[in-house]
Formats: sequence, C-alpha cells, structure tokens
Amino acid sequence: MTSQTQTPGIDFAALTLKDAFDLAVLIEEEARDRYEELSAQLVLHRTPGAAAFFAKMVRIEELHRQQLLEERKKHFNDQPVAVRREMIFDVEAPDYDEARADMTTRQALEAALRSEEKAHRFFVSVLSHVQKPEVRRLFEELRDEEVEHQQLVKAELAKLPPDDRFARVDVSDGPAPQ
Amino acid sequence: MNAPVLQAKDYKSDLKPIWCPGCGDFGVLQGLYRALSSIGRPPHEVAFISGIGCSSRIPGYTTAYGFNSVHGRSLPIAQGVKLANPELLVVVAGGDGDGFSIGGGHVPHAVRRNMDLTYLVMDNQVYGLTKGQLSPTSPRGLETVTSPLGSLEDPINPLLYMLAYGAGFVAQATPADMPGMTALIEEAIRYPGFSFVNIQSPCVTFGEDNQQLKAHKATMKTLASLGHDASNQLAALDLARSYGTELYTGVFYRNPNPPPTYEALVKLRQAEQARKARSRHQILEAYLQK
Repeated sequence: MTSQTQTPGIDFAALTLKDAFDLAVLIEEEARDRYEELSAQLVLHRTPGAAAFFAKMVRIEELHRQQLLEERKKHFNDQPVAVRREMIFDVEAPDYDEARADMTTRQALEAALRSEEKAHRFFVSVLSHVQKPEVRRLFEELRDEEVEHQQLVKAELAKLPPDDRFARVDVSDGPAPQ
Repeated sequence: MNAPVLQAKDYKSDLKPIWCPGCGDFGVLQGLYRALSSIGRPPHEVAFISGIGCSSRIPGYTTAYGFNSVHGRSLPIAQGVKLANPELLVVVAGGDGDGFSIGGGHVPHAVRRNMDLTYLVMDNQVYGLTKGQLSPTSPRGLETVTSPLGSLEDPINPLLYMLAYGAGFVAQATPADMPGMTALIEEAIRYPGFSFVNIQSPCVTFGEDNQQLKAHKATMKTLASLGHDASNQLAALDLARSYGTELYTGVFYRNPNPPPTYEALVKLRQAEQARKARSRHQILEAYLQK
C-alpha cells in the first residue's frame, strides 16, 4: 500500500495543521485498537507472551495519542474534528495477518517493529506532498519519533532470549479430521 | 470533510471474533464496518444473513440484525427477508463451501431472481471450521485430510459461475488491499440488484502459503491497471477464466443498465392486481348472476 491508498480522500498538499494533528491522533488510535484486538485474539488462543506484549503496545499507543491530543488542544482547543477514522487504513496498526496462534514474544516484537517501519515509510512518503510548513514540521517530528520507536523495540528484542529451534507446531499433533 | 453520523465502530458488536489469529476474515469484517459507515444506513436498517462456517459468524460481530442460519441456505433465507421487508439492506455472508457446495443449487436462482442483495463469499479454498477438508474451490492437487495424496478435481470458478448465471455485479477482492476491498464492498452494496464479491480471505491454519495475505500483496493485480472495462461482459468472462492462477481484484462486470429487481416487480404486480381487484359488491353480483 502507498500513502495515497492508506489515506483515501486526504489531500496532503491542502492539509491544515489542525487536520494534521487529528490525523496523527487517529493513526495512534487505530494502532491502539488493532493491538487491543490482536492481544484479545491471542489471549483467546492461549498465547500469553505475545498477548502481553500487544497489551503493552496498547498502553504505549494510547500514551502517544494522549500526548498528541494535548498538543492539539493547546493549538486548537475544542475546535471540531474534520478528519475521520474511515480515512485511514493501517498506517501504524499492524496488519491482521501479523498475528498467529502460538506466536512467540519475539515474533510479536518483530511484528511491532514492522508496523513502526511502515508508519515511518508513511510519513516519509506524505512529506513529499505536504506544502504547509507547520504541517511539515509536525510530520517530520512524527517521522523521527517512528525511528525512536523502532530503536526502542529493537532494544527490547535484543534483551529477549532466542526463540526455541522448534516451533510448537513442530511438536504438536496436526489437525485431525472430524 | 464533513463528519458522518455513523462511524465504522457503530456496526461493531461487543462479541469478540473467535477466528484464528491472522485469519483473512478479520480484515473483511473491518472492511464491512467501514463500507456500511460510508453508506450511512443505521444498523437497524441492515440485516446480515449467513449459513455455516467460519465466515458465517459475521452476523454476530455486527450490531445490525443477523441470522446465522442453516448450512448452504443463506441465500433463500436472505431472499425471504428482503421480500418481507424490501427496505432492509440485506448482506449475505458465507464461505466457498457454504455457497458453492452445500448451497450451490440456490445460487443460480438467487442470481436470476435478482433481488437487491449483496453476497460476500469469503473464499479460502478449504473447509476451515471442520479442520481442513477439500472445498469446492480447493485447487487441483491440494493435499488435505480428505485428499492426503492430493485432490484429483478441478475447483469451481465462482467468478465464471456468477457471470454465466447473469449476475449484474461481479467483483473480486482481498483483505491484502483493505482500501480496495472496502471500496468494492461499498460499490456492491450500492448496486441496485444482486451483487457478488468473491473475497479471497485466506485460512491461516489450513490454507496454503501461496494463498496467504503476504502472497496476495505480492501477486494481486487490479483490473483497473489492466484497463478492463467493467461494462464489457465478454471481457469479464475472459478475465474470470484466470481464477486460481491470477489474483485479479476489482469489478469484473457491472451491468450498465441494471434491470428492475424482483422486489420492484413484485410491487408493480401488487399495484396492478390492486387496480384489477373487484369490490365485495362486484364479487357478490357476479356470484348472483351465475
């Protein structure tokens, strides 16, 4: 997906700072909700390590959302929101395809890393369309934050022991016909 | 950029999907919520009808009316619902086994009757819910628990099926392209008549690696990029032949002059009959003259 298809209907050249803030808030909100969904899926499928990591990502994305909301409020107080959640598709949210029953914590972190990289590519891509200097500054900041987030995930990954050589699928019975 | 009254989350129920993590149906459900919010019909004006299977669980995951019905019988039930309440927006959801095997006999009649329904088939080429048996769209050679040495049968081609039966709207999508799939679902729902979207929705547990979303992303081609004219039924038939070898997404065929729907014809018939209806007095007179 390109930045254009991820955000159908958004003209980045004409985007105002208020809309840019609201878009950034929605991007964090979408990621928060997706991590919440993935965490719930993995709890249901008895994959506690990865579920706990995704739950941690829920808190992190919510924190980012709150920080952006505060900034937005400083600039624009309670002015109405014009952009909609339906205008964005998986900008920072991990794809549904990233989750697997029995995935390891390492695999969950790798999924989060891919999502941060995806978000970075998004901001790099849209910056080539942004014309208003104040919007450009915000998006450059967000782009750089994505790099920081990647470093944080990489640091967490480095602390983890390597995955077992055998996946659970290698040592469990295959699915039986009914 | 005007905020709509309804958001995608307004269609999401509190029930959490129990599909396997990574299932393509999660994306389809998300696309459905978004398409409905874009159309703007409130949940109480929408009904989801399904049969049996993983994807047939969709009605429970929405705030709209829903009927998780009998295996293969979603289309007859949906037609009954639509006829009883033509104002409802009726979406039929199910899998390839439910639609083209158990319910296969109902498909041509639903198509030729042309009610204003949208039929979304989540085609994963396998019976996932019952743990991985051959389904009507399984590719030849597929090894499953019921074909341990590989299938000896060619799959059904849902796109050719629907085009040959005369469906006015035939499209294919994949959740690997969420914006494209969402737009197609919306277009199908807006089509005034029977519309069909074959959604390649992979089964992560029993599906083949080359059928997963990452593979779709790498191989899918939009029909728009091929310059396909969706009003050309013959070109659509030709492109649909590549089902199983190419993953084309977009609208194969959209009837540029949609004929009246069955429910519209019923309404006309009822009006005609009402005009011809005799009063009680006329009926009594006719009886007494005899």
